[in-house]
Amino acid sequence: MVEPLQSNAPNAGLTLRFVLLGVASLFTVGGGVCLRPELLATYHYNQHIIALTHVVTLGFAASIIMGALYQLAPVVLEIRLHSERLVRWHFAAHVVGLAGMVSSFWIWDLKLAGLFGCVMGLGIGLFAYNLGRTIARAPEWNVVALAISSALFWLAATLLAGLYLAATKCWSFSPFAGISAMHAHAHLGGIGVFLMLIAGVSFKLVPMFSLSEIQNARRAVGAILLLNAALLGLFVTMLLSNPWKLAFSILIVAALALYGWELIAILRARKRQRLDWGLKYFITAVGLLGPVSLLGVFLSWPNLVVNERIGQLENVYGLLALLGVVTLAILGMLYKIVPFLVWQTRYSREIGRNKVPTLADLYSAPLQALGYWIYVAGLLAVCVTTILGREQGIRWSGALLCAALAIFAINMAKILSHLVVVRTRFTASLNSPAMLEDHESPQH
Amino acid sequence: MNPRNIDEKDIWAALRQVIDPELGCNIVDLGLIYGLTIEQGDVLVQMTLTTPGCPMHESIAWGVRTALLEVEGVEQADVELVWDPPWNPAMMTEFGRSHVAGN
Repeated sequence: MVEPLQSNAPNAGLTLRFVLLGVASLFTVGGGVCLRPELLATYHYNQHIIALTHVVTLGFAASIIMGALYQLAPVVLEIRLHSERLVRWHFAAHVVGLAGMVSSFWIWDLKLAGLFGCVMGLGIGLFAYNLGRTIARAPEWNVVALAISSALFWLAATLLAGLYLAATKCWSFSPFAGISAMHAHAHLGGIGVFLMLIAGVSFKLVPMFSLSEIQNARRAVGAILLLNAALLGLFVTMLLSNPWKLAFSILIVAALALYGWELIAILRARKRQRLDWGLKYFITAVGLLGPVSLLGVFLSWPNLVVNERIGQLENVYGLLALLGVVTLAILGMLYKIVPFLVWQTRYSREIGRNKVPTLADLYSAPLQALGYWIYVAGLLAVCVTTILGREQGIRWSGALLCAALAIFAINMAKILSHLVVVRTRFTASLNSPAMLEDHESPQH
Repeated sequence: MNPRNIDEKDIWAALRQVIDPELGCNIVDLGLIYGLTIEQGDVLVQMTLTTPGCPMHESIAWGVRTALLEVEGVEQADVELVWDPPWNPAMMTEFGRSHVAGN
């Protein structure tokens, strides 16, 4: 019996449960938009939008990103996760906190939201502690570790800001304008946690999947440091409704430009010419940072009068950031992470002994392509109809997004089915040239 | 032939059974095998991966050991992962290059 080599990656099931929760949350939001399209056609500062936003941010994006980090961080940093038991406790706190918070926002009981926010905070604290202890033992500090550490810091800040917001709503003691404080809180999470992780993790994953490498480590580190500095300034100026927030918005754009420059250099140096759909989803998400940045700079213009049209532009800004950048990036990475986890669980002990499928054999590429185009069309349509304030249009656009998500779900089910289907069903379809036994290499 | 009648061709054939599941190509044609030492019933494979920190490295190394132990005469199989020289696409065979380009 061959003993497996020591693996740094934790049990794949730990990550999978977060991923499944995230996918379920995404469908909840898709259903919500289809059932209540009028929510997007009105100003975003209302209880239902806040509830749905937290389903996207905490239920979908945070669940998947945190689950993926439990798998990714030990691999990237080449060290074992500090504790798998803490991951299980984190998941329990996350589920209870999420369900309670979203329900409380929906019925606008902010004391209850704060209570469940504390449960969520307990889970996030476990997550930060677990990853912090892991990173602290890393033999080598790199740009990915820097980005993950930064995101952990901003995650804690976002949580504290959220609890502060809930408390001020209950007891009215805040010196800050409510809407400014909410925008500041949202940007801490959006830029500090999601964008920071998307950028940082992509410095490892994009080179790995495209057979390339970081082209300029100082440029990559510079982008992360600048993003940190700019976010600190943006948060403070947003909170104080200070006109200098425009300058810090431009600084954020500069950091993203630096990141984009490095990403383009990595892709240009890639040795695998054909990009798969997972990477195409991800690159599209990064490309959407362009229009999101432009909108962000415009909306941070000093003394901008908030009328109905500006309110709808703010909705589009949030939609493009969450459903465009964050969701597309995560869907793309899920197409890389989930097949890997399933393959690892199902086939890693059979490699070298039996014929095993490749990761690409686990899903349907045509379905990926179909889902991509429908999602992009739905995103474009939902943005246009939101600007125009057309409820019926938003409903149909939401239906398009749901259709794309249904296709995604079919592909995910196809991947997950490998965990239960018997091996013999695959062997017939595995006549790929890579597996032909009679192939003779000219080298040997 | 070596003293334990291990045919080197069998070893290479066994190594070709091990694929990189992300790239869909076997590790021999990817140029990941740097060295092969056969002594008595012991086989030592020096190999690399396409990227340091590759999450598949445990599975691939496990697969190599498993595949080698299936070869008649092999009693002990060891895998040594090396990073020098770093892997580059020029190390792929013609077959490997065309396969990866098509994927």
